[in-house]
Amino acid sequence: MARSNLELQIARSLVIRYGMAVLSVSLALGGALLLERFHFRDVADQLFLLAIAVTVWYAGIGPAILAVVLSGLADTYFFIEPIYTLYITRDDLPHFVIFVLFASLLTGFAAVRRRVERDLVQARDDLQIEVAERTQQASLLNLTHDPIFVRDMSDVITYWNRGAQELYGWTDKEAMGRHSQELLQTIFPTPLEDIRAELLRTNRWEGELKKTKADGTQVVVASRWSLRRDEQERPVAILETNNNITERKRREEEIQSLNQELAKRSAELESINQELEAFAYSISHDLRAPLRHMAGYTELLQKKASSVVDEKSNHYMAMILDSAKRMGNLIDDLLAFSRIGRAETQKTPVNLTQLVKEALSEVRQDTEGRNIAWKIGTLPDFYGDRSMLRLVLVNLLSNAIKFTRTRPQAEIEIGSANGNGDELIVFVRDNGVGFDMKYVSKLFGVFQRLHQAHEFEGTGIGLATVQRIIHRHGGKVWAEGVVDSGATFYFSAPRPQGQLWRA
Amino acid sequence: MESINKIGRILMVEDDAKDVELTLTALEEYNLANEVIVTRDGEQALDYLYCRGEYKARSSGSPAVMLLDLKLPKVDGLEVLKQIKSDGELRMIPVVVLTSSKEEKDMVASYKLGVNAYVVKPVDFHEFVNAIKELGVFWAIINEPPPGSVRK
Repeated sequence: MARSNLELQIARSLVIRYGMAVLSVSLALGGALLLERFHFRDVADQLFLLAIAVTVWYAGIGPAILAVVLSGLADTYFFIEPIYTLYITRDDLPHFVIFVLFASLLTGFAAVRRRVERDLVQARDDLQIEVAERTQQASLLNLTHDPIFVRDMSDVITYWNRGAQELYGWTDKEAMGRHSQELLQTIFPTPLEDIRAELLRTNRWEGELKKTKADGTQVVVASRWSLRRDEQERPVAILETNNNITERKRREEEIQSLNQELAKRSAELESINQELEAFAYSISHDLRAPLRHMAGYTELLQKKASSVVDEKSNHYMAMILDSAKRMGNLIDDLLAFSRIGRAETQKTPVNLTQLVKEALSEVRQDTEGRNIAWKIGTLPDFYGDRSMLRLVLVNLLSNAIKFTRTRPQAEIEIGSANGNGDELIVFVRDNGVGFDMKYVSKLFGVFQRLHQAHEFEGTGIGLATVQRIIHRHGGKVWAEGVVDSGATFYFSAPRPQGQLWRA
Repeated sequence: MESINKIGRILMVEDDAKDVELTLTALEEYNLANEVIVTRDGEQALDYLYCRGEYKARSSGSPAVMLLDLKLPKVDGLEVLKQIKSDGELRMIPVVVLTSSKEEKDMVASYKLGVNAYVVKPVDFHEFVNAIKELGVFWAIINEPPPGSVRK
């Protein structure tokens, strides 16, 4: 390498360097004496100057001074009259002084030149080392898959790594020298002046940018900018690292739009629910009033006119009253049904055996004068809304009581059945009039009835209520029946997970 | 009869003419109707209680009981109830809410405001007459109204 050559040229040890001075002056003296033998005159000075020049060049300033002194002495001794003395005549003094001055000047110039050249070589070597380092760093940057590029302060791309090539589709040769904004058609989230101001203030900037690839498609990148300054703190280049977040962004947007959709839907549901509530309120309030008036005035009419009108008219008035009463019941049941849909379920552990007792006392008045054999099995503990579950039992029990009315000996059984491991099943079985299985799908519908009103009274809302409550508990309802041989109604609910609630 | 002389005045707040007629008919059966003041909305009821507006010249004295419907034009029943129960003088008047609404929130709101009784008007006329009769008998005859109530 350049540096080791230089080191070879400059003799390292003092002995060699000063020896070189002595040697070169000796050679010059030898040469001059030899040439004088062949009658070549006045060459000694030139030879000595040559020796000094060689010494200063190869051995440096110190040995060169020694060479000047030695040359001066040798010149005086061998070539200036009287020879073989160190004495200089007055006539030769200028000659000698000029020789010494010239030799010193030569030494000085050569030394300066030497130094300049050495500095230059040094600078070149430093530069080469730096270039090597930079090249290595650049190749390291090339190893990363993240797109990285550098641009100068006028936005011209000066470096373009492999990651950038992979993302944007331009090779480094295509990209370098191009104006980055033009090449990538960057879309900034904020005005570019603001970004530049922040960059100059903090030396960095981060943000999301949209850029266009060579194939024309757009990518969203998370971009980080770092400002490079020179020794005078002047900004010289911007290093930009990009991270392709197009896919992430797309998913984010997808999620966001789904969320918005969801929020819209729930707002819609909320408003529908409110509408329903207002509707139910208005039914409760406004529908009942005219009904009450119809019943009231008919009854007043009945009171005033029953003795003067015929039997048919009395029958008509009775029918009006009957219908008004029936409609009143329908409204009440419908309201109760809609309230179940709206009410919050408050779930607690529920002892079903206890709840069956409560339900039985609630339906007691329906059992008066009846001969009913009750069979109540072991019932599991349930987890649910107590008052809603009681309504379920009341509905099922009063149905069983109602539809066994034609039996001289009614039998009603309440028990639990084995479901699969995850669910609890409870059933209510009776030996009543039963039903045809082909109508089973209609059983749980609102206002659906399988019997005519004159056979069995009812609004057709009881089983719909049962189904609604059980569905709200995450369970199922179903029924089995045979015409004239009784029916069994089942409901299930998920078995409570763990034993926490039992404590 | 002695008791007739002791009938307290009933203030009825009801916007529905038919309800008024039926209620008065029910009260008539028990000779309770002649001391009934009928107001048709919340504002009128408050005017009556504060002796202002069209009732500026009425003889003073509070009713022995007030039968209050909830759904009323202008000032609704709950608002009337609120004003009465937050007035130092009027708060003593027994207020019975007599309404078609079975809604729990109406009931809760009324009791929170300090209502004395809450009666849902039955659809069945017999029950309705009975309810009105019992209300009338209880509040206008049996109950000792607060001092300052008008009694015949």
